[in-house]
Amino acid sequence: MSHALTPEHSTTGSHAQAGSWKEHQTLGALAGKIWLPALITGVAGLVVAAGAAAVTGGLRQFLFAYLTAFMYVLSFTLGSMLFVLVQHLTRAGWGVVIRRMQELIASAVLPLSVLFLPILVAVLMGNGEVYPWNNPAFVADHPLVQAKASYLNSGWFTVRAVAYFAIWIVITRFLLRNSLKQDQTPDPSITIKLEERSGPLIFLFALSCTFAAIDWMMSLAPEWYSTIFGVYYFAGSMVGSFALLNLLIILLQKPAGLLSPISVEHRHDTGKLMFGFTCFWAYIGFSQYMLIWYANIPEETLWFQARQNGGWEYVSLVLIFGHFFIPALLLLRRQFKRSKVQLAFVSVWLLVMHYVDLYWLIYPQFAPSPVFGLVEIGALVGLVGLFVAALVKAAGQHSLLPLNDPRLDESLKFHNI
Amino acid sequence: MAAISPTMLDVVDIDNTIETPGRRSELVTRNSSYAEITDSVCYAAESPHPPLAWYVAFAISTSLTMMLGLMVTYLLFTGIGVWGNNSPVFWAWDIVNFVFWVGIGHAGTLISAILFLFRQNWRTSINRAAEAMTIFAVVCAGMFPTIHVGRIWVIYYLIPYGPNQHAIWPQFRSPLLWDVFAVSTYATVSLLFWYMGMIPDLATFRDRATTRWKYNLYGLLSLGWTGSARHWHRYERAYLLLAALATPLVLSVHTVVSFDFATSQIPGWHTTIFPPYFVAGAIFGGFGMVVTLLVPARALFGLEHLITLRHMENMNKVILATGTIVGYAYAMEFFIAWYGGNPYEQFAFTNRMFGPYAWAYWTMIACNVISPQVFWFKKCRTSPLVMWIVSIFVNIGMWFERFVIVVISLSRDYLPSSWGYYSPTWVDILTLIGSFGLFTTLFLLFCRFLPIVAMAEVKGVVHQHNHAVGHHEHDAAH
Repeated sequence: MSHALTPEHSTTGSHAQAGSWKEHQTLGALAGKIWLPALITGVAGLVVAAGAAAVTGGLRQFLFAYLTAFMYVLSFTLGSMLFVLVQHLTRAGWGVVIRRMQELIASAVLPLSVLFLPILVAVLMGNGEVYPWNNPAFVADHPLVQAKASYLNSGWFTVRAVAYFAIWIVITRFLLRNSLKQDQTPDPSITIKLEERSGPLIFLFALSCTFAAIDWMMSLAPEWYSTIFGVYYFAGSMVGSFALLNLLIILLQKPAGLLSPISVEHRHDTGKLMFGFTCFWAYIGFSQYMLIWYANIPEETLWFQARQNGGWEYVSLVLIFGHFFIPALLLLRRQFKRSKVQLAFVSVWLLVMHYVDLYWLIYPQFAPSPVFGLVEIGALVGLVGLFVAALVKAAGQHSLLPLNDPRLDESLKFHNI
Repeated sequence: MAAISPTMLDVVDIDNTIETPGRRSELVTRNSSYAEITDSVCYAAESPHPPLAWYVAFAISTSLTMMLGLMVTYLLFTGIGVWGNNSPVFWAWDIVNFVFWVGIGHAGTLISAILFLFRQNWRTSINRAAEAMTIFAVVCAGMFPTIHVGRIWVIYYLIPYGPNQHAIWPQFRSPLLWDVFAVSTYATVSLLFWYMGMIPDLATFRDRATTRWKYNLYGLLSLGWTGSARHWHRYERAYLLLAALATPLVLSVHTVVSFDFATSQIPGWHTTIFPPYFVAGAIFGGFGMVVTLLVPARALFGLEHLITLRHMENMNKVILATGTIVGYAYAMEFFIAWYGGNPYEQFAFTNRMFGPYAWAYWTMIACNVISPQVFWFKKCRTSPLVMWIVSIFVNIGMWFERFVIVVISLSRDYLPSSWGYYSPTWVDILTLIGSFGLFTTLFLLFCRFLPIVAMAEVKGVVHQHNHAVGHHEHDAAH
């Protein structure tokens, strides 16, 4: 591999005047310009979705569309959260410059916890249209669901949801607060504290992420089960969060001139990680499908049967090619990880595919044939808008890069061999 | 217990397990120069006699290997009936041993391929030994299904080279056949990777050879390596490519092995998390074995400054992480067995915990999930004695995991009238012990005749580190 210095590379190499970039790494006036429009778009999207749902599928459709969009934006925070923890755990040096972005994305989980309320309230008010286990008539007809009523009931569901959000908020607050503290004082003991605690926090993260996926998505088909389901949602979340990270970096670098220390070398690495997790997602998805298909047990195949009929088979095929073969083959090329335009293209592509993935997980429980209209678009635009607003709020006037991390220098000097 | 090596004299070890953020600790202690690294690695092969402990270990392990030969011969001449396999447990220790050994191999590939792609430089001190271990483990693994087929003289029927000769094709729909392809691919690529990585070091052995036959042998093996810039360029390209090709293999082999079980409908075998769970378990078991081997080996050959406590600590962290992942998979299987509501699946799990084989299940849990938890404490991660004991527990636990999966599920499936209790015969027991003999023999020969640490790669890391912290005394060598 050649490592000729690109023009961009040489500009980041000039970190001798490191002080100069450190002063211009906040969103500044941009925050105000984005925040309000994002908020308005978000609210408007949800209003449109609600209005359209009132005409077509009613509350049930709105909640399904909302849940899909919610799991979509939530996955960005979860994927980012885990990767920050992994970076601390492994004492990673190269990624210091991208870490703050991920910390900020992850900390959007706090406002998202409020946005989970519509679903929680619906469940608590006895709505059984989304989660059939919450519908007494359905449960009465289904002995298998009766057998797990001690797990799938509205009270225990709520307690667990509160616990998951509590865990995620504690993790993200801990990560961001300490990271910001280090911006003020270059204290290596902060890094040591983060390193020491990230191990147990990953443990908590794994359990909460798994059971959240089981509770919120797997239990939509309350008779169906798969031990790998939590890992599947996690794998998709990693793909989505890296796609979002790459896109945000490129967007902030180009017009706003921010994040200049993030060089092509760092993007190359986040591109590699996106590639790696795309393959991991395919591996997990294949494992799940292959084993259920091969054993051919009716209680398991019914879930895939719903996804292989009534038009869903096309969505499944879109996922196989669009979420794996095409992006993986593109990302194999070095150029697609290093060129801004090409990386942005694959990132947007994967962001779309990640939504299709969640739509494919959730929506076949809503309708036997794909439904995609104003309700779904409105909910998606709404939650993405609110998510962006939350992100801008979280970023506030904080630096978008860690300023005093002891390994900052290592990260600035980093280049692929 | 350590042999006297030239590098051990009056040098104090630096504690490189401490890392101050912002300053990377030394991966190699005692401020070793290039010459010292070469000397201390070559010493194991060049000293006129290996340490006494090597002879003792070699005597024991070759005796066990000969016993293995006897057992296999007895089996082939008599039949599979000399083992305990019988209705309803038709797969027993042979398959347990196969999965156990093939899992051990995973640490080598993970270290040489995935840790390479992740730029984990510490892997350079341990990759050679781990890769060697991989090959030897795959040798042991491959033996078990081979002798289990019974009529070994027609084993070539597994190779799909045309029905005109056999009037039959192998069953492509069987995961057992996929295993043949997966394991043989794995063995081939691992061997290539190991050998190719060793070429520069073999050339060093050649250049230092003191006898004609050594010179010729190492010369032949080093393929005319001169160390020219072009050679290095080709070598590094090939290494990167092989690493990228070997990475999917880390996942594929144990995934296919897990398919042997998970594609069936046997309660306790059929569950979707099996592929990644088997891979994590394999890495866990493999690192357990690397620690088991390297704790004595580094002391015996005086390599503590190259395979430092930091390397051992990192491996123990991997053991803790993968052991916990395995614990997660156990918990998830157990939860879904309840959640799924299938009474047979539920029975399979209560039977594991409280049935006639409960002792095996709890041995597995204690060894695999509980024992690695001591590695949350740095004192335990950096104590050779503690890590060696835990690594033995890990080996035991991973063997029992396969026993739990294979034997318990088969012994009690859907039909209570065909339940049974499996007991091994003396042939089973001696064959397993013999396979450890074969593995240890091969590893001891490797320690004595081949470069046990990747000298060239370690030097590269030492150089990088010195460069990063501003020591430039080695630059003259470039």
